[in-house]
Amino acid sequence: MKLPKIRIGKLWMRTALQIFFFVFIALVAINHTLAESGGAIPFLSSASLHALCPFGGVVSIYQYATIGTFTQKIHESSFILMIVGFLLAVLFGPVFCGWVCPLGSIQEWIGKIGIKIFKRRRYNHFIPIKIDRILRYARYLVLAWVLYMTAITGKLIFSDYDPYFALFNFWTSEVSIIGLAILGITLGASLFVERPWCKYACPYGAVLGLTNLFRIFRIRRNASTCKLDGACNKICPMNIDVMGSKIVRDHQCISCLKCTSENVCPVAGTVDFVAGGK
Amino acid sequence: MKLTSKPLGILILVIMFGSILFTTAMNWWRTESTKVPVKFSEGEVAGEYNPADIRGSYKMSDIEKSFRIPVADLKTAFAIPDDVDAASYQVKNLEEKYAPLAAEGKEVGTTSVRYFVALYRSLPFTVSGDIWMPDTAVAVLKQKAKLTSDQIAYLDSHTVRLNSSPAVTPAVPVSTPQPKTTPSANETHTAPDRTMSGKTTFKEILDWGVPKDTIQEIIGGEIPSTAMTVRDYCTQKSLDFNTIKTALQAEVDKTK
Repeated sequence: MKLPKIRIGKLWMRTALQIFFFVFIALVAINHTLAESGGAIPFLSSASLHALCPFGGVVSIYQYATIGTFTQKIHESSFILMIVGFLLAVLFGPVFCGWVCPLGSIQEWIGKIGIKIFKRRRYNHFIPIKIDRILRYARYLVLAWVLYMTAITGKLIFSDYDPYFALFNFWTSEVSIIGLAILGITLGASLFVERPWCKYACPYGAVLGLTNLFRIFRIRRNASTCKLDGACNKICPMNIDVMGSKIVRDHQCISCLKCTSENVCPVAGTVDFVAGGK
Repeated sequence: MKLTSKPLGILILVIMFGSILFTTAMNWWRTESTKVPVKFSEGEVAGEYNPADIRGSYKMSDIEKSFRIPVADLKTAFAIPDDVDAASYQVKNLEEKYAPLAAEGKEVGTTSVRYFVALYRSLPFTVSGDIWMPDTAVAVLKQKAKLTSDQIAYLDSHTVRLNSSPAVTPAVPVSTPQPKTTPSANETHTAPDRTMSGKTTFKEILDWGVPKDTIQEIIGGEIPSTAMTVRDYCTQKSLDFNTIKTALQAEVDKTK
C-alpha cells in the first residue's frame, strides 16, 4: 500500500507557539542571569526557571499541604502555572507537552533531522514494540521517585537531573553534570526516536498524560469515512495507534493534532479534535 | 464541537497569559520569595524588622528598604566590586566572594550582614559562635553606628583585613588579632555539606547522624516534617535561628 505524501505547514499555529515559547523561555533564562549581575533587560521577566515551571507546583503539593510552605526555589507562580497546566489538560489534553514545552519542541526539531537521515518509515521505530510498550510506563516510576524524594527532603531534587533546566541554564554553575548528560542523551536520542524524554522519562508528561482518559476535547476517528491508509499512525510522534481507535485515550497523546484531517488525514471530517460524542 | 489548530493555539495563549495577568492583578503571581523580614513582636523595638531574618537571597536594595541602610554603605562595608550593581547584589554572593575566609573558619556571609545591620541600626541580635566582619564593615560601623565598648571589642577581635583590591581578587585574611573566645564548633567547616545554613532541613541533619531525640531536645518540640528547614521551623515558633543553628551544628560536628 502506497502511503500518502505528508503535507507540512498546515499546523503553522502550533509551530509558531512552539517557537514563541522556546524563545520566550530562553530570553527569560538569559535575563535571569543578567539580573544577577545587575544588567537585566527591562520589561522582560527575570524570573528563575523554577518559578516558571508548572512541575515545580506538582512536586510542592505535598509540602504545601503538610507544612504550608513551598519546596525550596518554588514560588506561587509555579503553583498557578500548575493549575493552568491542569486546566488546559482537562480541556484539551496535554497541550502543554505538544504546544508549549520547549524541551519537547527541541526534541521534535532535532527529530526532523532524524527523519531526513532515516526516512519516516525507519525513524521512530528503532525500539522493538514489546520493549517500547514497557518503557512507556517508566515515566511513572520517575514521577513516583521525584514526588517521594521531594516530599522527604523538601528540596528540588529533580533539578539536578532535569534536562529542561539544563537546556536553559547550561551556562550557569547551577546545572549538574548529570543534568547536562541527560540533556545530551535526550537530544542525541531524538535523532532516532521522536520525543524520547517525553515518551520514557518526563514526570510532568506522566501527570498530564492521565488527563487523556477523561479530557473534554479528544481526537476522534470516524470509522465510516476512514480509508485505513495508516497516515495518522505514521505521523504520530508518540506512535499511537490512531487508526485502531475510535477515540484516542492513550496516556501518551500530546494533542499535537498531526493526525487530524486538518493535517495528514486525507479525508475531511475523519480524524477531528472534538468535544462530546462517543 | 470541533476545534482546529488556530483557535486551539489562541485559546492556549489566552488561558496561559490571561491567568498570569489575572493573578498578577490579584497580587498572587510571585516568582521570587518575599524579601521582607519578620518584625520584632515585643519590646522597645516592636514593629521593627528583625535582622536575624535576612536571607541569602536578599538584595542589598531589600536591606536598604527594610532597614534604611544606604546601599552605598553596604557596598563599602562588604567591598562589593564597582563593576557590579550593588543594589541588586545578593547577600548569598558574599559567601562565594569570601570563600577563602570560610576555608579558614572565618566565614563572611549572611550572618555577617545580619550582625552588621543589627549594629548599624542598634537592633537586638543574639551572637552565637563567632561572626567575622571585613575591616571595611568595621570601619563603617565605627563611623556610623552607636557601638558599646563591648561591641567594639568584639568587632576588633573578629575583623578580617581585606586585600587592597577585593573587587578583582578574592578576599584573604591577613594576620589579625586572635579571637578572645574559645574556638567553637562553628569555626571548623571541614565538610561544607555538613554545615548548617538557612536551607538545611531536618532530614539532612538526621542523615548526618544526629539522633532525632537530640534534635527535638534542641528545638524544644517535635519535628513537624523532616522536609522542613530549620529556619522555617524557628520562624514559625519564634525561636532564634542562630542559637538553634549553633546547637545543632555542634551536634553535627560530634558525628564527624
